[in-house]
Amino acid sequence: MWSKFLLLFTAFLAQSGAFDWHIPKPFPRPAVPADNPMNPAKVELGRYLFYDKRMSSNGKTSCATCHRQELAFTDGRDQAEGTTGELHPRSSMSLANVGYSPLLTWVNPSLSSLEEQARIPMFGSEPIELGLNGYEDRFLGDIGRDAVYQKLFPEAFPGENPVYTIGNVTKALAAFERTIISVNSPYDRYRYGNDRNAISDAAKRGEVLFFSGERTGCFQCHGSWNFNGALRYEGGPLPHVIFQNTGLYNLRGELSYPAPNTGLYQYTNRRKDVGKFRAPTLRNIAVTAPYMHDGSIATLAVVIDHYAAGGRTISSGPYAGIGHDNPNKALNLRGFKLTDVEKSDLIAFLESLTDTEFLKNPSLADPWRR
Amino acid sequence: MRKTVLRLIFLLLILLSALAAVARQASPSISVSGDVKQQLTLTAADLAAMPRAKAVTDNNGVQTTYEGVWLSDVLKKAGVPLGPGLRGPALAGYVLGSASDGYQVVFSIGELDPDMTDSQYLLADTANGKPLFGENGAFRLVIPKDKRGARSVRLLSRIEVVQLRK
Repeated sequence: MWSKFLLLFTAFLAQSGAFDWHIPKPFPRPAVPADNPMNPAKVELGRYLFYDKRMSSNGKTSCATCHRQELAFTDGRDQAEGTTGELHPRSSMSLANVGYSPLLTWVNPSLSSLEEQARIPMFGSEPIELGLNGYEDRFLGDIGRDAVYQKLFPEAFPGENPVYTIGNVTKALAAFERTIISVNSPYDRYRYGNDRNAISDAAKRGEVLFFSGERTGCFQCHGSWNFNGALRYEGGPLPHVIFQNTGLYNLRGELSYPAPNTGLYQYTNRRKDVGKFRAPTLRNIAVTAPYMHDGSIATLAVVIDHYAAGGRTISSGPYAGIGHDNPNKALNLRGFKLTDVEKSDLIAFLESLTDTEFLKNPSLADPWRR
Repeated sequence: MRKTVLRLIFLLLILLSALAAVARQASPSISVSGDVKQQLTLTAADLAAMPRAKAVTDNNGVQTTYEGVWLSDVLKKAGVPLGPGLRGPALAGYVLGSASDGYQVVFSIGELDPDMTDSQYLLADTANGKPLFGENGAFRLVIPKDKRGARSVRLLSRIEVVQLRK
């Protein structure tokens, strides 16, 4: 009786203890679902799982294969590659500040839970990412025999039996992902930290251009302190997320974007949603090339050219078309003119969003390498 | 000797007034012009001498306390009729806020009058106790009750009052 009470009391303390986020002012904490409260053991467990190749059917890949810390948790590829070699149609999104994102992935309008999202790379078959479908028992058996997990699972989920479950795996992964926080770039120190010398004069000029509705209007889609639009945070409202067509393609025929990357249309089947994607964060953007949902632009300079032209023109080949004229293109993407100096200023500003401490933060690094 | 001292004092006064003019020119300022009784050129020092006001904004969980003066007080200082004086043809007037990058937003005079609406229009010069800088410019409009920030003109440099019926 008493031992059961003590166990439950320990569980209560572990679950309800205030989690120390180490988030500097003035940034808020991410929103955390009531059924998956944060605790240090759960975050540490999630980190081990994130970097564990036993998470894949053939032991070749883990979450970290497509989400490398030094690349702001992207993979440097135009299309992510699954554990069996199958290519994902889209580019890996950065996980920087993913805990603040009201929606997840490039286009899914209803996927808002990190716990639910984790199941897609684990068990999805279109495409196969980790390919764990059908290998659940083997995977859970493997981790149940590992001394690291034998310590961490009960600490993360005290009192639970069974504790080695897929549900707990996804909860731990989500808890770790909520700690992937990047708010200490030179720009943050300039804008929020009172260090007026933290960024170059070029970056300062670039900031003005970025936030000028008259000149570039970049912030209109990449707004908020996370540069990706409205955020979800502790105590905040659930925001409305906007999907935009940026005129990247304008194919002839029924659909103006190349399948299967037809954007929000993939989920709504409405023609007006063809080519609409969610704006990604621009934090650490200088290390997350190639760009756009399909990695079809190699450099920031060319991304700026695309937006300056109000859409991309592809003159030949299967994707030929004038993106500027895409009927679904966002109305605010009118294009703009920049001098060469202004363009390099804008790039300097984007480069000032690189949080090098985040890219090397040991608490986010591969724990198996210790 | 006395003549020389007087000449020196005279030269010193000219020099000081020239320096003050240069300093005033170098300080960022906002012009208030158009259909006003008194055209104004306001610096941060001028705004500091007016009744101060605050507005708090929330950008996705990051709160900022802006301080400055109510736009209505600026208009009153320029002689624009507000309150009981804002009636009849005067209501067919508007205020054009312009930024140094060319951005412009129009407000009707009626909506800026605190006697008419509960909206708040702050001509801000500090954020969290520090002078505005960078993307905000030295001055910006802050309209905390707006659902979107598009009318909160950054880099504010000019306020023009236009009366359509004179």
